[in-house]
Amino acid sequence: MTLKGGTTQACAACKYQRKRCTPECALAPHFRPEHTEIFKNAHKLFGVRKILRILEKIDPSQKTEAMRSIIYQANMRDRFPVHGCLGEIYHLQYQIRQAEKELYAVLSQLQFYKQPRQQQEITLDSPESQQLQLGMGVEQSANGLTLFQHEQQFVPVAAFFDQSYSGNENRNDGYNNSNNNSGIHFDSKENMSNMGNDGMWVQQTYCNENDGSKTQLVNTQPLTIQEEVTHDYDEIYPFFDTIDDTQSYIDSKDANESSSESSLKETTQSVQHVAGNKLKRAELQLGIVSEDYQATV
Amino acid sequence: MLGQQKHIKHMASSSHPSAPCAACKFLRRKCIQGCVFSPYFPPEDPTKFANVHKIFGASNVSKLLNEIAPHQREDAVNSLAYEAEARLKDPVYGCVGAISVLQRQVLRLQKELDATNADLIRFSSNQNIIMNPSSSSSGNALQNPNVLPPHYGNYSWNYNPN
Repeated sequence: MTLKGGTTQACAACKYQRKRCTPECALAPHFRPEHTEIFKNAHKLFGVRKILRILEKIDPSQKTEAMRSIIYQANMRDRFPVHGCLGEIYHLQYQIRQAEKELYAVLSQLQFYKQPRQQQEITLDSPESQQLQLGMGVEQSANGLTLFQHEQQFVPVAAFFDQSYSGNENRNDGYNNSNNNSGIHFDSKENMSNMGNDGMWVQQTYCNENDGSKTQLVNTQPLTIQEEVTHDYDEIYPFFDTIDDTQSYIDSKDANESSSESSLKETTQSVQHVAGNKLKRAELQLGIVSEDYQATV
Repeated sequence: MLGQQKHIKHMASSSHPSAPCAACKFLRRKCIQGCVFSPYFPPEDPTKFANVHKIFGASNVSKLLNEIAPHQREDAVNSLAYEAEARLKDPVYGCVGAISVLQRQVLRLQKELDATNADLIRFSSNQNIIMNPSSSSSGNALQNPNVLPPHYGNYSWNYNPN
């Protein structure tokens, strides 16, 4: 539809309102003539006057971003009339809780595999002491110490979880301020931190019972993994630019899956690099441990 | 429909029989029986309606509510109030900013999970190499790693240095 005497098409907003679309039309850059449905949704939720009022308060450089968020919000309300964007927020919070649970489980399992590696390195470093260790291991098993060992096994995991997530929480201050309904999610983190504190308490008793060199052995692992986590977070930052594509994110997981898959190679490379460093550090510490052990013997 | 109206009337009258709802108070109109706003905008919380009216407009909200089943209207009003508050706090992104933050968080966790899973696979495969019978010089107790937990000897040694 062309205007009388004009060569350009009227924007979707002016078309809907059946008015002349002037070059100064504030909505023309955001509602192309073919986007009538998009305008209808925005008009239904906000109305032209409210949209213009929001745009008035905003710096001109941010108007495009603001319109994208308004259009997204209106489309979400059209699709989910009851919950709108809040439904998506709840859904994402649920996804985060699930992912945290899964991550915690995998980390616990990983910790289980990491400990024997140290053990093996000790045995390789000091073949003389190895027979003593193994012999004592068998003896202790009969004395019912397995329960205590089991508890110790999870201490570093809990401590690591607390450390890494308290760091992330600090980075998400903006979210804390802007989103009042995020209580559930951060409550779960508080629970995690409580778990971490319990873990630290157990670790302290461990400190009292043993000499310092061995507690170092437990503490170093969480710290090295935490570095890894920080790098990952930094890499994801550019995703913030794709706000208006979030709708497609809900429908099709393909985009995210492919991105996570492509990033998997990078992360595995970084993991290998970090693991190499960890090996070196563990070797150094284990050297100290074996020396201490020889001194005590 | 009659039952729904009765339900709304009951909610409105039971909370404040005489005081008009926050919406009617704000719009300076008589709060009639069956007012679509009165069950969801109580007079003691005037900012809830003020925010919603400022961002969406009372007319749009009433149209939206009329399209929704009465038992879902409370959720709808609460989500609208949340969105309005978010838009007032952050005029550029509104509640979409929170969605974006959460999506980044999900992606980060997914990536972290993928990396940890890869780490787990690598460690478990390393474990198999280390525990291989080729290193049988390490002692009789570790001949069968599946029987004993791999960390078994380590901690007992740490706790009892003798």
